[in-house]
Parts: sequence; C-alpha cells; structure tokens
Amino acid sequence: MSIPADLKYTKDHEWVRIEGDEATFGITDHAQEALGDIVFVELPEVGREVAAGEAYAVVESVKAVSDVYAPVSGVITEVNGDLEGQPDLVNTNPYGSGWIVKIKTDGAGSEELMSEALYTTFLEE
Amino acid sequence: MTDLLKTPLFEQHVALGGKMVPFAGYELPVQYKDGALKEYTAVREGEAGIFDITHMGQVRVVGPDALAFLQYVTTNDVSKLVDGQVQYSALLNAQGTFIDDITTYRINEHHYYLCVNAANRHKDVLHLKEQAARFDVHVHDESDDTTLLALQGAKAQAALQTLVDVDLELIGYYKFAEVSMEGLAGIISRTGYTGEDGFEIYVPNSIAVDVWCALLDQGAKPIGLAARDMLRSEMGYALYGHEISDAVTPVEAKLMWITKLDKGDFIGKAAVEARKAEGGKQALIAIKLTERGIPREHYTVLVGGVVSGEVTSGLHSPLAGGGVALAYVKPEHVTAGQIHVEIRGKAVAAERTSTPFVRSNVRKQ
Repeated sequence: MSIPADLKYTKDHEWVRIEGDEATFGITDHAQEALGDIVFVELPEVGREVAAGEAYAVVESVKAVSDVYAPVSGVITEVNGDLEGQPDLVNTNPYGSGWIVKIKTDGAGSEELMSEALYTTFLEE
Repeated sequence: MTDLLKTPLFEQHVALGGKMVPFAGYELPVQYKDGALKEYTAVREGEAGIFDITHMGQVRVVGPDALAFLQYVTTNDVSKLVDGQVQYSALLNAQGTFIDDITTYRINEHHYYLCVNAANRHKDVLHLKEQAARFDVHVHDESDDTTLLALQGAKAQAALQTLVDVDLELIGYYKFAEVSMEGLAGIISRTGYTGEDGFEIYVPNSIAVDVWCALLDQGAKPIGLAARDMLRSEMGYALYGHEISDAVTPVEAKLMWITKLDKGDFIGKAAVEARKAEGGKQALIAIKLTERGIPREHYTVLVGGVVSGEVTSGLHSPLAGGGVALAYVKPEHVTAGQIHVEIRGKAVAAERTSTPFVRSNVRKQ
C-alpha cells in the first residue's frame, strides 16, 4: 500500500497536494484497491466552487458508485480529462496520472488533513 | 445476522485472493486478486474461466409421473425433451408470476434433474413437494451434497476434456452427459450464463476441490461474481430478482418463448393467457446510452421526458463500448419516444437496441 510522504490525506481516503494556493486532488491507493476496477469517472465543471468535505466527483467501479469529497475548499481550475477515456488510471497510478482535479484553494479545511504518518495509523486502526 | 454458508471451495477462493462477500446466503468471491475486468476479459477473449456456483440448487424428480408433474409445474414443454437434453424453463404461481426460472435436465422419462436459483431454492422445493403430492413422483433436494462449477470460454472444452472420458465434442448446446469423475457420478452440460461456449459441471462435494484444482492446472482462471454479472448482463440474460420476480409474468419478462400455452394445463397458465390478452403491464427493453454514463439497477428511465420505468440490470460494457441496460418501461414506450436514464439527477440519452448487447459465442447446436 503506497502512501507518499509529500501529500495530505482525509478520513474518506482522498489525497491532496497543496502548493501555495494550488491544490491537486485524488483518491488514495487504499481507496482504489477497495473500490476495485474503476470503469467511469464523472468530473465536475471547471469554475465550480467546492467546500471542504463536499462531493465533487463520482468514481464508479464494476459494482459500486462512490462520491469523491474535496479535502480543502476552493474553485476548480482544471479537471483530468484523461480519466474519461482511461478511468483505470485511478487504479494504476492513483497519485500520479490518476489525479482528478486541480483547484485554487483558500486553504479552508486543511487543518483537518492527516499527514502520511497519521493516515498510515488511521488505516491500521 | 444469520450465519453465511461456505461452499466446499471456500478455502480455495481465499487462497486465490478472493474478496469474499455475502451472496444468496453464502460467502462467495466477488472477485479475485487481479480484479473483475481481467476476469471478464479472460472469459470473453479466448481463455477459460471457472466459476463456483455451488450456491445454486439441484432437485431430482423421479417417478412414473415425472413428466406429467413437470408439465404441470413448469412453463416449457417438457415432452419435447429427449434423454440428455436441457431446457430453460420457469416455475409460476397461480397468478402467473415467477416463483423462479430454472433449467430442466431429462435423464429419462421417469427421471429429471432441475437446477434452481440459490435464493429461491427452499421456496421452490416447498412448492414442488406440495404439488408432487398429487403425482406418483418423488422430489429430492440434492443441493447440499452437490458442487456446481461453470467452466466458460473458448478453452473450456480443452481444459475439461483432460478430466473425463466422454467425448465432450458430442455434447451439443443445451445437452448433457452423465460422467464419472474421480470414480463418482456427475453431470456435465453444455450450458452457461456468459454467452461463451462452455459447460456446467455437477459433482459430489467430496471431489469439488480435486476438480477445481485440476481445472486451474489446465489454465482455467477463477472468476468472481462481479465478472459473472457483467458477462450475464452483456448477453441480456434475465436474472431472478432483476428482470424476473413474483411481480411479473412471462408476458412482461419477454419469456413467452419458454411458456408454452399450447401444451396442456400448467400452474399459472390461465393467468398468463389473460395477461397476454390484455397486454403486459410493463415491457422489458434493451437500451444503450448514447452519452457517457453507467445505467445501474433501479435508475429511473424516462421516455419522451416522462417517467416510464426503471433499469433492472445495467453495466459499462467494455465490448459494447458504453453503458447498456435492460429496463422495464410502459408498454406504449417499447418502440416510440426518446429514452433517457436519470443518472444522479441528469437525464442521459439512450437508444433502443437488442440483446445480446455483444456477440454471443455459444454453440448453435
């Protein structure tokens, strides 16, 4: 189970990379493993405002439909259009080419995020 | 929570990385470690997949009245069967709605073997035993002693042939042979639920692990419930609890082809005749999304902008290249009106199509 040290995590198994006021979202290796083969990703519109904890995308595996929640608040600036044709990137490279959206963030919600160490402990509990 | 049952292959599934889930009262693998899509692909694209479907029930019907009894309790015309032939059929109640869909195997005119759905087994056996009281026939539920494997895909025959003496080439589609495996009696039929060539294999529990392992040694890939449902749905095959239930008759479920109104009396016949005359209350149709999305079970189907019914089975079909589904709609919407499936509040466009959604590779005879 891969948990990169340079990312932050949520209890809902999302990851976020925060660089200044830019943030990239995705789901964790644990999440993709639990969901199984992902066959569809519903992406939000660029320009949509999302609040921390709000569902902003949907991933569908063979058997299940799952909401994906925003780790921090902001406005969506970019979506990963590659996922429309290759939703399995979320399975094969959840922290890289399987990213879901980029947002311009105001940082709200970041105080709730877990470090790699805390998320590792959280998964073990 | 009631205790879940385990099939004789439970430890095999766990050892193969099976993700075990509750299904029809059993703990069964929804997928193995490589995932449902790879399993699906193995069966569709030239390999052989092996499925543990031991949860399904088997009922032996023996006695001088076996044929007359089955003519009365099942919908299809059992008199058309010859020894060694299998028939898709159904059990109806007096209201003409489904108790179950089944397969009927004719061993000889006084001896038949039925395969029934797991979730309906106890209800079916109770019903059959009640009805049997008026016939010179015995009904034996053999489900607990029987392991059922499905071996499906282009390489199924080659893999299975290594285990049996009977020439499998001689078993045609919907035919079966009684065989000896590991010195014990079993049944092999050229039947299945995937749209690929293949077999269903009934063996005593005591040799289940041996047969399973021998088929894995022949290169068969284990396949879980998720891929099984994809393969089934791509063919548009009905599944009890989805397309068929005690709320619909064969008229609605497009199963009049297994309901022979001209064969003499059978349970549910009068009700089905009446329903046929007045027209079905709803109708099963096949649709394909023309926009992105997955039409899942219970999603609302709109026709001409108004609510018409709902999806009964749907999936993202890798081979069809999009979302496909079976759905019940109002009878007047079978042929006319733009179809949409409501997905998370959004109306996603769909068009009518026919089943199977992808090419079937079953034997023609």
